[in-house]
Amino acid sequence: MDRKYHALVCCRAGMGSSMMLKIKCDQVIKEDSLPIETEHGNLDSIIGFRGDFIITMVDLTEELSQDPRVPSAVGIKNLVDKNEIREKLHAWLDEHKGEEPRR
Amino acid sequence: MLSDLLDESLVRLGVEASDWEDAIRKATAPLVANGKVTEGYVDDIISGVRELGPYIVITEHVALPHARPESGALESAVGIVTLKTPVAFGSADNDPVKYLFPLSAKDSDSHLGALQSLVELLSDPAFFTRLDTCENAQEVVGIVHAKERGM
Repeated sequence: MDRKYHALVCCRAGMGSSMMLKIKCDQVIKEDSLPIETEHGNLDSIIGFRGDFIITMVDLTEELSQDPRVPSAVGIKNLVDKNEIREKLHAWLDEHKGEEPRR
Repeated sequence: MLSDLLDESLVRLGVEASDWEDAIRKATAPLVANGKVTEGYVDDIISGVRELGPYIVITEHVALPHARPESGALESAVGIVTLKTPVAFGSADNDPVKYLFPLSAKDSDSHLGALQSLVELLSDPAFFTRLDTCENAQEVVGIVHAKERGM
């Protein structure tokens, strides 16, 4: 598949932890050649987000999953644990197998 | 580079904190004193944790206190603070917190390199082992420099 899923990596501030989480996710995406592209932002970036899912720290997922604009959210417990990120990204892709990326 | 954002004046070792809020205030005090962030920035870190939970606790025993840039980030900076006695932040997975890396950045794009170094540092268990043996701020800055040179 040529088209990629789009993920918004976000935190409340939109810098710092979201950027560090994006760096780790991008390492896993590259190593495993996953069909995912990431961008990062703050919680306001959800307004107008047209991508497929959100990646954030687990403490924010509860708040985000109540937001009707969030298609689905992946919560990471340990930002530096590539195995956790790897498992959760693969699980998301398995769950959405066959679905077309939204853009 | 991370080394550009860190200096000895932003390092504190063996700080005594009574709870998570006290830990954040003490860890960010050097950033306030050195004109890196405003008091309002610190207040925004604390209200963020109150509203949304301990999402700044990003890996085992490590908190990255930071807030929205517009709440009062004056100059980009990273501090390194260790607690004498670890405190609970309410993180189900990563409590108690012993290490704090208070962060001020106006935007993340201009400090991509520094954040990249920071995330690599936090991914390395050997860094924390070394940090535990440091006796002063100079040594802490020294190991960060050495690590960054080796990357």
